[in-house]
Amino acid sequence: MQKRKFELNHLLKWRNTLDKCIRCGYCYEHCPVFKHTRWETDAPRAKLIMLYGLLSCQLEPSKYMADKIFSCFNCQQCVAACSSGVPLTEIFADARADFVNTEFDTTGTTSVTGSGCGNCLTCVRACPHDARYFKDGHIVTDSIMCQSCGICTSLCPNQSVSSTHTYGTDRVYLNRLITDFLQKQEAKVIVFGCNWSYYPDLQSSSYDTESSSYIPIYEKPDPEYKILITMCGGRLTKPLMLDPFLENAWGVLVACCPEGECENDGNLTSAKRVKALKPILSSLDINPDRIELVNIAHGDKAGFQKAIDNFMEKIKTLGPLVDERSMNQQIRNTKYSTD
Amino acid sequence: MKTINIPKLKEIVGENNVKDDPADLFIYGSDASVHRAMPWVIVRPENVEQVQGLMKFADEEKIPVITRGSGSGMCGQTVPSQGGITLDMKGMNRILEINPPDVYCRVEPGVVDDDLNLALKPYGVFYPPTPASSRTATIGGEIGNNASGVRSVKYGATRDSVLGMKVVLPGGKLISLGTRTRVEATGYQIHKLIVGSEGTLGVVVEATLKFVPIPKFRCLGMANFDRLEDAGHAIADIMAGGIIPSMLELVDNVAIKAVNKTMNLGLPDVEAVLLYEADGMVKEAVDYEINTMKNMCEKHGGTGLQSSYDAKERAKIFMGRKKLFPALSKFSELHASTSLADDMAVPYSKMAEMARTIHDVAKRNNIIMTAYGHCGSGCMHTKILMETSHQDQWESARRAVAEIYEYVRSVNGTTSAEHGIGLSKAAAFKAEKADSLELMRAIKKAFDPNNILNPGKLMDAPDDWVTATDLRYIVES
Repeated sequence: MQKRKFELNHLLKWRNTLDKCIRCGYCYEHCPVFKHTRWETDAPRAKLIMLYGLLSCQLEPSKYMADKIFSCFNCQQCVAACSSGVPLTEIFADARADFVNTEFDTTGTTSVTGSGCGNCLTCVRACPHDARYFKDGHIVTDSIMCQSCGICTSLCPNQSVSSTHTYGTDRVYLNRLITDFLQKQEAKVIVFGCNWSYYPDLQSSSYDTESSSYIPIYEKPDPEYKILITMCGGRLTKPLMLDPFLENAWGVLVACCPEGECENDGNLTSAKRVKALKPILSSLDINPDRIELVNIAHGDKAGFQKAIDNFMEKIKTLGPLVDERSMNQQIRNTKYSTD
Repeated sequence: MKTINIPKLKEIVGENNVKDDPADLFIYGSDASVHRAMPWVIVRPENVEQVQGLMKFADEEKIPVITRGSGSGMCGQTVPSQGGITLDMKGMNRILEINPPDVYCRVEPGVVDDDLNLALKPYGVFYPPTPASSRTATIGGEIGNNASGVRSVKYGATRDSVLGMKVVLPGGKLISLGTRTRVEATGYQIHKLIVGSEGTLGVVVEATLKFVPIPKFRCLGMANFDRLEDAGHAIADIMAGGIIPSMLELVDNVAIKAVNKTMNLGLPDVEAVLLYEADGMVKEAVDYEINTMKNMCEKHGGTGLQSSYDAKERAKIFMGRKKLFPALSKFSELHASTSLADDMAVPYSKMAEMARTIHDVAKRNNIIMTAYGHCGSGCMHTKILMETSHQDQWESARRAVAEIYEYVRSVNGTTSAEHGIGLSKAAAFKAEKADSLELMRAIKKAFDPNNILNPGKLMDAPDDWVTATDLRYIVES
């Protein structure tokens, strides 16, 4: 596809608005991308400053810059936190519109279709933002429409949809955290939460690998469970939900938004997956109650904690996974020998 | 611009902790002030050894080093006006120790204030300076600035909460300062000098902070005043009335109008609103303090008095003050809210006169200014709302700022109560502290003989803040 010349077009109308940003930085700690990298250049304020540089001709457009603009999960937390009422994500969308199809065009956190795509159109049908479509024999992403919710990445039967930048939301990264945590003596449960149902915090700002110190988080980490936050419950694939059991987790709790409150319908997808996993767990001699889904309203920290406490109580009654599996095996062996 | 040995920097702090793309440099070139300049490179150390390595390198090469927390400073303290290395301390953000029996904690400088308080909360204690920017401000930045906030009237500023620290000096030497005890009379307390030094004396790599118990009871009250002067008299009486409020805030008519216009909160159209708060472990004591303040307000004509212990009610009462920032930003499409002459302190008896002077100065210079602040600490905040693209507005702002500081000095006030000096307030600072500037320069030289730490700030900053650096706004000539 022929690239067009970069021109400031959509961004021009925001010039005065960019003056409104008093650069207080209140958006920082709410941004999942910043929380992952802890580089100021990835914070929402930085994106505004960069765009200001473009508009004032003090910065030349570059792929590096575009990469930052396209790296946003559209969670809107920066907009909510802005002390000056700047509509940051609207500005970012217009910046994308100016960068798209130019020599600097990039993908950032938006979804990309890989070579293994079978053109089944599952992702096209499932995209809650109408950002994926079939064109010239390929499935492509409209990177302005794409909200980086990740639903498509979790649905592709060929695992051919991915994002260039994941900022701690991909299975490999989450798996590493799961393994690290479950190796600890008191570790029992993995809690998956979504960025909306339990706002704020991505786990990326709170990994506690240091032995004698810990990185600031919203509470002191509980040694018995670890909360892993994804951008949306719909990103949680069945293999990811099963991964903790491979590390002998006692249980997995999945927290999603209540019905009707997820703009990606990721909560419904997640509920279906948890339901489907229960018989699979049974067939593996694992009590299906060891996985559970709860709906937590946006910002309901107390409700989230209560759900965790209840689940922990239940899981402790069930005991360690290893004991249960060996006991079931013994029962079956006894049964076979009796037969 | 001096050529910097980037591979050497990467060797010291690691490949991934150095940035020098023009976009990165542009971003790190500004803070929450009106100023803008470009660093030559950004470096983010992860441990003390790396900071030592960097300071050794920078001192040998005589490269400026600008230490930076969250870049939320309002006077240009972290704007690299002479270029150099911006040292981003957000990579060192561990809470190293919370020690309830000895009533202190040790933290790295990149810890965010709110995060520290959330970690302290399970112990029933809090770290009290808490500036309005506590959600993003780092402890290191607060130390550099001697930050304070709405409750500093009772709990003091950062300097009052810092017991000790570890500092890396130019050349790379690590020194321990202060103590872990509540009191100290052991020679010069150099750690107290580092607080408020705006990154000109050393790089703080660890701080020992004391904390205080979270009060069981908190009551917030509000009173309206038809005359600003009456509110001022109430403030002076409250502060001399034998009690210590945990908060005492003034909101003027410009701010009230801004909040009503943009938020529709229905605040009364009066000249001033006073918010007063008391806290403590015993309800009767809090009752006594709140009633004392209520009586003082009534005595000076305060109306619409209300108060509440209920958290939701308190949030409702405080909403107007809380929404002031966004209200001022949204005041009009044409005007932007700038931080200039924004945090002076004056004696309590001059608070009302100060607010009145701000309004007069604004009118005389054809700009919009509001007066609000932590009058319990004698601190008056302002915001200048101006059309930032118009050159003549900057000329007006320059005159207004000079006139305001002239008044502040005339009543024995001080240039900055909370936000520091940086670049924006250098002229007023130098005029106020004329007698001690040479001493300050000697102290700076003792710490930093090659003048690499945040050069060109405080006493060495240019007198004209408008031309000290490029302005971060697009100004049409």
